[in-house]
Amino acid sequence: MENALAYGSYAAAGAVALAVYYAMPKGERASRPLPAALLLAIALGAVVLLLTRFGGNTAEDVLFYAMGALALVGGVRVVTHRRPVMSALYFLLVVFSTAVLAFMAGAQFLGVALVMVYAGAILVTYVFVMFLAQQASSGGGGIAAVLNYDSNAREPGFAVIASFVLAATVLGVVTRPAFPWNAPVRDADVMKATMAKAASEATESQPGQAPTYNENVLAIGETLYREDGFIISVQLAGVLLMVAMVGAIALAKKTLPRPRHDEELPPPGEIGRKAAPY
Amino acid sequence: MVNHTAMMVLGALLFGLGVTGFLTRRNLIIMFLSTEVMFQGVLVNLIAMGLMWGNLQGQALGLFVLVIAAVEAGLGLAIIVMMYRRRETLDSEAWRGMRG
Repeated sequence: MENALAYGSYAAAGAVALAVYYAMPKGERASRPLPAALLLAIALGAVVLLLTRFGGNTAEDVLFYAMGALALVGGVRVVTHRRPVMSALYFLLVVFSTAVLAFMAGAQFLGVALVMVYAGAILVTYVFVMFLAQQASSGGGGIAAVLNYDSNAREPGFAVIASFVLAATVLGVVTRPAFPWNAPVRDADVMKATMAKAASEATESQPGQAPTYNENVLAIGETLYREDGFIISVQLAGVLLMVAMVGAIALAKKTLPRPRHDEELPPPGEIGRKAAPY
Repeated sequence: MVNHTAMMVLGALLFGLGVTGFLTRRNLIIMFLSTEVMFQGVLVNLIAMGLMWGNLQGQALGLFVLVIAAVEAGLGLAIIVMMYRRRETLDSEAWRGMRG
């Protein structure tokens, strides 16, 4: 076998796909945790074996594998849990594992931004919408209820096959030994040198004094705001955010009815219920 | 620092998991949450690619992916709220009027 890493990662992806298939809820049965857990363990073991044999350094590998396992388990439970609130909480686990991975890769600003934006804003919005859109099920109401359209997965076999083929396509390119084809160098020291250079250029040079700013933030700032960098994209991102804010407010606004001259206003708790859907 | 190939394997698997959830679930909010899982996979991949080339353009692109994810979450949830007000259910099968 010329590229054992690719075939091994296909096998690992297949094991993850089978684990997801077994973990899908169906009717009264929530999921089958035992085959799912076994298959996930096999997949992770395969990934660990392959990467320790064909991969790179062995320094921070334990933390990387732990966070990768947490991210994968969280991802499987986001997708297969019956209750939407628990899906949101498992997604929080995925976000935190990805943030730790970003910190390990030297992307400190991106890790903190990930936690602030995803865990602090997007997930809170999701939970609020779950509060707004809750409805009573047969076994008691509220936000933690299990509804019948949540209990049944819709064609899990075909979905698992389709996503496995997609993931295997990406894996086949990524694990190729000659990928990328024209990269000058692939080393973590280059990244550190880039950031240290940016830090030493930005701070006022007092020889012998350590830079007081975070190197990664400086380097990201330099990358984003340079003329041949992403400066136009930053302006466009600002415009996009403003348009989205206006759009979200305009979409979700509800028009309340004005009472006519001869009828009185309903009590404050009842005004909104008389309004037609937007 | 981490091995970038390993990070890209993880990113591909997370993306595949998100696609599975989007295709399978019927709850509109869970479908959107699966697209957020896809975004996480893409983010991990972008960080790994930045690590591979030795500069920070992957992380800058990751920041833009974060902006787009926030925008999409806000607007998508607003549309979901409107759709819930119409049909009083979060089931995506309630909107299959144009099918078949």
